[in-house]
Amino acid sequence: MQVSQELIQKITEEVVRQIQSQKGAGSSYDANGYRKVVAGELGEDDVPSMAGRTRINENKSDYSAYRKAEQGTDPKEIVIGVGAAFQREIKRTIGGIPLDEVIRNVKAGIEEEGMTPRVVKVLDTSDVGFMALESAKLAGSGIGIGIQSKGTTVISQKDLYPLSNLELFPQAPLMTLETYRRIGQNAAKYVKGENVTPIPSVNDPMVRPKYQVKAAIMHIAETEQLDPKLGIIEWEGK
Amino acid sequence: MRIVAGVDIGNSTTEVCIGEFEQGKSVRFLSSASVTTTGTKGTTANIHGILSALKDAMGKIERDVSEIDLIRLNEAAPVIGDTAMETLTETIITDSSMIGHNPSTPAGAGQAAGELLSFDRLSRGRSGTPYIVYASRDYRYEEIAAAINEAAKKLDIVGMILQADEAVLVENRLDRKIPIVDEVKRIDKIPDGKMAAIEVALPGQFIRMLSNPYGIATLLHLNAEETRTVTPIAKSLIGNRSAVVIKTPNGDIRENVLPAGEISLDAEHPVRISLDEGAEKIMKAVNSAGKIYDVTGQENTNVGNMLRRIRKGMSEVSGESDAEVHITDILAVDTLAPVLISGALAGETCLEKAVGIAAMVRTQQLPMRQIAEKLSETLSTRATVAGVEAVMASLGALTTPGTRLPLAILDMGGGSTDAAIIHEDGTVSLTHQAGAGELVSMLIQTELGLENRYMAEQIKRYPLAKVESLFHMRMENGEMYFVQDSIDPRFYGRVVLLTEAGLVRVEKDVPMERIREIRREAKKKVFLTNALRALRSVAPDHNLRDISNVVLVGGSAADFEIPEMLMEEFSTYGIVCGRGNIRGTEGPRNAVATGLVLSYGGEKR
Repeated sequence: MQVSQELIQKITEEVVRQIQSQKGAGSSYDANGYRKVVAGELGEDDVPSMAGRTRINENKSDYSAYRKAEQGTDPKEIVIGVGAAFQREIKRTIGGIPLDEVIRNVKAGIEEEGMTPRVVKVLDTSDVGFMALESAKLAGSGIGIGIQSKGTTVISQKDLYPLSNLELFPQAPLMTLETYRRIGQNAAKYVKGENVTPIPSVNDPMVRPKYQVKAAIMHIAETEQLDPKLGIIEWEGK
Repeated sequence: MRIVAGVDIGNSTTEVCIGEFEQGKSVRFLSSASVTTTGTKGTTANIHGILSALKDAMGKIERDVSEIDLIRLNEAAPVIGDTAMETLTETIITDSSMIGHNPSTPAGAGQAAGELLSFDRLSRGRSGTPYIVYASRDYRYEEIAAAINEAAKKLDIVGMILQADEAVLVENRLDRKIPIVDEVKRIDKIPDGKMAAIEVALPGQFIRMLSNPYGIATLLHLNAEETRTVTPIAKSLIGNRSAVVIKTPNGDIRENVLPAGEISLDAEHPVRISLDEGAEKIMKAVNSAGKIYDVTGQENTNVGNMLRRIRKGMSEVSGESDAEVHITDILAVDTLAPVLISGALAGETCLEKAVGIAAMVRTQQLPMRQIAEKLSETLSTRATVAGVEAVMASLGALTTPGTRLPLAILDMGGGSTDAAIIHEDGTVSLTHQAGAGELVSMLIQTELGLENRYMAEQIKRYPLAKVESLFHMRMENGEMYFVQDSIDPRFYGRVVLLTEAGLVRVEKDVPMERIREIRREAKKKVFLTNALRALRSVAPDHNLRDISNVVLVGGSAADFEIPEMLMEEFSTYGIVCGRGNIRGTEGPRNAVATGLVLSYGGEKR
């Protein structure tokens, strides 16, 4: 299809018109495009609305007993931000690697390079870019790693714009534990200011069609578990 | 009033200079232009480039190409250059006698010697014997650390060798700290029960014991004869952060000197010289040989193949048969090439001695006259071939403010370095030497182990910087530079080149300081050697002190550091040397084209 200037303009106008009409109806969308709660519909709760939808997991984990994640001060510290369903509702990545092993290897990679890892759980968002950025802001070193429960990973730095990153590993089904180890090592090398060589990654055009449904379901399962009231919590182990 | 255009066809660029002559007045320069040369230098394919350069230059002064009354072409120097490289030594390890190893993150510090004990046979260890334990990547670091902590209660474990990159991870979990070397790929080749010594240096330092033959002798209890045989091991470990040496009865490490072969110079004073003797000796022989008619290499040796390759390449360019191609000058440069050691356990590389050679071939006269004829046909103006390139370059260089006769020029291009001197009486002596910009690129490529020449050329051309945050970078001279907007995160933490088109990443795990060192060394090796060689051969009585002015022109003179390097060197001879500034405006370019216009004025008178 040919995308012309005209077509783009038309689409933009259409989208703007829709947003405005929705505003009129009293609903709104957050930055990620998720529908925010309409006041009065679900009480004061600020959780993504599940009204009229089927939940993948009936129950929602309660993290209110966990400590709120603190701002790090150690210049050697790298924060790993994991997804809301990480190691709970979801125990393996989309490629079937146990998440316990994933987190262990990322931490080992960081430690081998002489830096210190800290793991937090991000309950604000399931967008991996924001997860990595928020983690980076908490890290004493300013370097953070975001890992979705399905395995998608991003290395970010605290000064970056939300949609940019230092390294992005989008094809989670093709990742191995070795990749996760190297991700930890690379993050540590950014902290040390060493010359970082990019991790060679496999690319398979068939991954998308093959895993699209599974990826969507896993992402929904993760998003269900968000709890923006709690924000980011300390997550050492389980 | 006549408008004259000077056209200089170079290997890479075609330069044009437009001048106006009025009766009784001196020349007035109107415009100039530079475009990429189309086709091989000296062929009629150049016409397209010439036309577009002329259009460009005349367009700048809003006039038409048809107003040009005369086009003057240079008599291009009938030389082409080529380069080749060959390693001279080869390190071979037999029977796993050594692991000279430099993993990025070893753990602990200090040295240790003991008997090798496999991790899965830990329970068989006897108390009282010092052990160095080695473990494959099948074991996790928690497992290894726990078992070693347990075993250390009974056994004397002094050091460890790991296959996985987990030295720090294991060491962090040990109760008693020991030196650990990791990333040893071929751990299955380690012989059980043999004596071994390992050493890990303190941060920021290099190993001391194992890079010293007597140190190895002390740790492994060697006698005088055995100590002599480990000397190459010690040598190859110099500069490492960690190392392992294993003593095996038959184990050996050799530095093989490859049969590099001999070079024969067919010259006034014919010489044969072996390539093994190094670049310095070769160049001495070349300098004392007098006029060289041809250079050949011994059959079926490295140098023989190398020179044959050059000959073949040149015959393709010039269209002459192999036998007719005569190499009339060579420049040999010592270099080091990182080569994978055969038989190594950890995939180590060793810097092997190598020699790079640039050769120059004198060809038949290039068919410039054909170009001139074709050009005058196309434009219906007069076009002539006028003047030898080097002489025209000297004339052009004289327009640099602050120069006087006798004037020497150094024309540093891609394939050759040319020198010429104009004396007060107008006589000119000139020379062409092999080796210039292309040889520098080859040296950079070899020493950094780069896959392609393009990257090496970029490194040659641009200064380096290290991006340290999204807002600032450290320049290679140590200066901190804060950018206006933020730097693209793709460059975060990377070594980059500062090109006109923005930053370019250097995709190689080499520190900025090392790249800079290699780049500067390569330039010095080629251009300093060649500049001195070229000027000596044109200087009166071959005495450099008789030259007072040297003007640098040509592509490599526009380099950001080569002119300064030469300036420093020549100042010791009391020579004024600097980058040319043709007509006070053009910089080191356009010298030949300017010379062609100027010489027209001279001829008229």
